[in-house]
Amino acid sequence: MPTTLRIALLAGLLALLSNLAVIGFIYVRTHDEAVASLHRQVTEQSQVLTDVYRTGGKAALDKAIGDTLDYADTQTAVALIAADGRQIEGNLAQAPAVQSMQVGYHNAVIRLRGQPSPHQAQIVFSRLSGGEWLVSGRLVGEGLAFRATLERSLLLSLVVAGLLGLLCGVVLAHYVSRRIGNIAAVANRISARDLSQRVPLSGAGDSFDRLGLQINAMLDRISALMEELRLLTDSLAHDLRSPATRLRAAAHAAAESSDPAEQEELLGSVVRNADALIRILTTVLEISRSEALTGRKQFAWFDAGELAAELAEMYDPLADERGASLKFDRPGRPVPLFGHRQLLAQAVSNLLENAIRYGSDGGEIDVRVSPGEKQIRIEVADRGPGIPLDRRTEALRRFGRLDSSRSDEGAGLGLALVQSIAHLHDGELQLADNEPGLLTAIKLPVHPPQEAR
Amino acid sequence: MGRKILLVEDDRETASYLAKGLAQEGHSVEQATNGQDGLFRATGGSFDLIILDRMLPVLDGLSVLRALRAAHIETPVLILSALASVGDRIEGLECGSDDYLVKPFSFAELNARVNALLRRREARVDPADHRLTVGDLEIDPLSRTVRRSGKKLDLKPREYLLLEYFARNEGRVVTRTMLLEQVWDYHFDPGTNVIDVHVSRLRRKLEEGFEKPLLHTVRGAGYMLAA
Repeated sequence: MPTTLRIALLAGLLALLSNLAVIGFIYVRTHDEAVASLHRQVTEQSQVLTDVYRTGGKAALDKAIGDTLDYADTQTAVALIAADGRQIEGNLAQAPAVQSMQVGYHNAVIRLRGQPSPHQAQIVFSRLSGGEWLVSGRLVGEGLAFRATLERSLLLSLVVAGLLGLLCGVVLAHYVSRRIGNIAAVANRISARDLSQRVPLSGAGDSFDRLGLQINAMLDRISALMEELRLLTDSLAHDLRSPATRLRAAAHAAAESSDPAEQEELLGSVVRNADALIRILTTVLEISRSEALTGRKQFAWFDAGELAAELAEMYDPLADERGASLKFDRPGRPVPLFGHRQLLAQAVSNLLENAIRYGSDGGEIDVRVSPGEKQIRIEVADRGPGIPLDRRTEALRRFGRLDSSRSDEGAGLGLALVQSIAHLHDGELQLADNEPGLLTAIKLPVHPPQEAR
Repeated sequence: MGRKILLVEDDRETASYLAKGLAQEGHSVEQATNGQDGLFRATGGSFDLIILDRMLPVLDGLSVLRALRAAHIETPVLILSALASVGDRIEGLECGSDDYLVKPFSFAELNARVNALLRRREARVDPADHRLTVGDLEIDPLSRTVRRSGKKLDLKPREYLLLEYFARNEGRVVTRTMLLEQVWDYHFDPGTNVIDVHVSRLRRKLEEGFEKPLLHTVRGAGYMLAA
């Protein structure tokens, strides 16, 4: 797994770099401290001794150097050198040549008395008023030793940090790849046509769980759509079969018949069944067009009250003929609506046809348009048998005809088309109880879909 | 009576069936099988009507139509199309066509629409007396009053529009979808006989108390107003 390796290496590298930064900081700070403190000590010692000479003269300085040597540690270097280069007092193994000495702070290599080899030292040379030279300083051996120890331990901790980082990286990579692996495995099984698989959730509610939840929700939606599509294809095939079969039978009988009157009758039936087929196909097409939201570019403003009035007037004679009275109270003011006038007219006419077809026995069909703050409701209510609560979802589905044995021309697409037209307008179709009867309401938002404007 | 019609249709079977039918009706038909050829012929000859398939090779029907209208050629255009959704129909009409007929259709339906379009052109050319008369029926479009044998008939507004449309197509077959499109301006196919109910109401008002029928049912096609 190259990804896991990459994650591990990346984590290790990051740990190494951050530790390097911290350790580098510590190193630089300690080193600077050590150098600064040495510099301070050396300057102070030289300062004290020159002060002693200024106040007490050469004798006092001699004594002070003696005292210093008595109490000093092994790092201390101090000497009073005569103008001719002779060491009057001090612990230098060999006095430096007078001509090589210059006033000020210096780095030098010197050997102390009793020591086998010369050492690096920080030295201050001061010229006294009597012509003598004061040499005062400290060997830096101690500081060097400390620095070496520090360097070793820092290097060691760097290696440890690097290894720990690498280890953390491996653990992290393993964890991530296990969680992602679960999702990938589900995706794999789904690709192999098992849509029922779901991503397992750890229950920790972390980002991985959220990703899993989203993927699961997406899968639920896809399954539902596929199921709908399957049902739709089945129903379409089934519903096209009956008119196609009748059409074939009528055409066949017409070809066989020798009686012109019977032939004409049969050919009429051929045309009727062909028309029924075409109507089913056109409606299915119209539904998928609406669901795909095409047609929003044909949206325009119109008065919903006027539309309902026109349709109520159009269907009034038909209702009358079927023994029902159609009532419509037009709202006092216009109800402006931004939508697809033709498709909404078709939707309302479908509701009216349904009401007349199934609810005429009840005697009264009401059409209402109610403008609201946020939505416009166009209602058609009948006093027929209605649709029981548990079958309403079924009624809205394509080909969801409630009584499959019913042999009238309604192919069970009417309400599905109304619903898809409502969806086109970001609205919905609601089925409710008219107590008794069916109340259908197209609910449309007053503010039209943004992209339609 | 015969008119010059340009038929632009790429499907040979449909084209020859339509050309034959239209020729039998007494029209002379010129044919084109792709959009470019159709546009060329339409701009060249003077036709009374252009029947234009929407989906054509080389140049599609709506582009031909737009080009014609842009060139100020106002010959009536009837679009034929397999694109049947309401949105498609509206789009076709908005492009400047005078009528839109969805495939498959019966020849009777096409013929009725062709006659209506040719008739409209006639009326446009000759704005005669504004009154319409069909036998003893007299219609005044200005006052929207209808009299039969001098007796005033009481029609509802929509019934009047229906009758006026029939009268403007006197002696010609008018189909149910033509009525729905022209009188109501709806472009969907109602699943019920809602149009027939309106026509039979109108017929009752026209013929009640009179002996001679005026509004005739043409089997398999539609209706016709004739004295």
